[in-house]
Amino acid sequence: MDFDFKFMIDTFFMALKGIPTTLMLTVTAMLIALPAGFFMAVVRRSKTPAASQLIAVYVSYMRGTPLILQIFLLYNLLPTVLNVLFQALHIPINIFNVSNSIYAIVIFSLCETAILEEVFRSALGTVDKGQLEAASTVGLSPFQGYIHIVIPQALVSALPVLCNTTTDLIKMTSLAFNMSVLDMTAIAKIQAAMQLSYIEAYLSIFFLYLILVLVIERIFGLVERRLRIYQKG
Amino acid sequence: MNRIITYVITLLPYLAVTFQYVLTSLFFGTIFGFVLAAAKLGKNKALKRLAIGYTTVMRCTPSIVFLFLIFYGLPVLFRTTAGINIDGLGTITFVIITFTLFLGASLSEIMRSAYESVDRGQYEAAVSIGLSSIQAFREIILPQAFAVSLPNMGNTILFLLKEGALGYIIGLIDIMGKAYLINGNEMGAHILEVYLALSLIYWTLSIGIERLFKYLEGRFSFEKENKDTITYRRG
Repeated sequence: MDFDFKFMIDTFFMALKGIPTTLMLTVTAMLIALPAGFFMAVVRRSKTPAASQLIAVYVSYMRGTPLILQIFLLYNLLPTVLNVLFQALHIPINIFNVSNSIYAIVIFSLCETAILEEVFRSALGTVDKGQLEAASTVGLSPFQGYIHIVIPQALVSALPVLCNTTTDLIKMTSLAFNMSVLDMTAIAKIQAAMQLSYIEAYLSIFFLYLILVLVIERIFGLVERRLRIYQKG
Repeated sequence: MNRIITYVITLLPYLAVTFQYVLTSLFFGTIFGFVLAAAKLGKNKALKRLAIGYTTVMRCTPSIVFLFLIFYGLPVLFRTTAGINIDGLGTITFVIITFTLFLGASLSEIMRSAYESVDRGQYEAAVSIGLSSIQAFREIILPQAFAVSLPNMGNTILFLLKEGALGYIIGLIDIMGKAYLINGNEMGAHILEVYLALSLIYWTLSIGIERLFKYLEGRFSFEKENKDTITYRRG
């Protein structure tokens, strides 16, 4: 067995074309999950009856089952449920024409929201409750208090964890091939199966993920340094 | 609903396989992680850099990519370098190797930070009252570092349980693999019921592990030591 170095380089550049898909999945899921997770964290901290228990069950389920299982379950469940729902509401969308990427985004967002809910819940815990009260005594509404006082501080303490969850999300999107989405892993997988050169193909995306994640970590490092001005002390 | 319960009962025996790779990977991963953590905390610059580099690489790699690399690459590596044929090894071995290598990296970080969280003065105090450095480590540092590392340990075990489900892709028949097989045999007739049954099993397990670690944290914690001397007991 000789190592096909040329094939590895070729696959590397082919998988490179999957980077936009990988990043699109990551960024979109993150953009949906950030506000959703934050909102859930605020609701759960406020101990609103029913809502906070519901969120707790949702988070516990998402965190307690493998991602691959959620993909299988939701990828099979969502189209049927949505189809019934859309027909009942007379929404003229044929759910079976919706692109697979949308399902991938929905599933990754659902999972990431649960993760971020926990991150934000503990991050909000690091900001003293008195700060919100102080904000209201100087005339800020609770919304303003959150935007100007609580969120910047919570963000700083959550940022290192946010970096980890983002890189974890990149790694999670490697399962998108189960939904026929052509991300980096899917391209390498197809190449590997066509040429029967598994090692070369997977080595190429191994390096690709390494580079991608290290770049993302570096970016977060820069942002972290920039945001440190909000840190107390 | 009845069907879901039937599937839960069908799947449950295969938990043995899941437990097998979880516990074995955890065992070898802990040993490997300890070695790596020792290298990171040690004085040897080259070893230190090697351990840190290894951890970085593992942190950046998706489990599925690494699982494929081990599954396809390791037999070739052994055949070409040592002339040993390991094709006969069961798929579970590849899963265990993969996750041992992953766990080594993450556990080494957990152990390192736990070790560093224990005040250096404690070690000095222990040595000053006549304990040898090994005794000081075993009797003073280790129990405290262990207590600190417990929450992270729980998370790592949950990670292992969930990521291990990917073993089905290389043909491992654990609970995930069995569910996948059932769907194949039934042409996906009851696909939702099967996966719901499977998620019930995983969910219960995860909650159980979480509870266990919450309990352990309370039992081994040193925070409440003013309540009744020290809550940590050996054994």
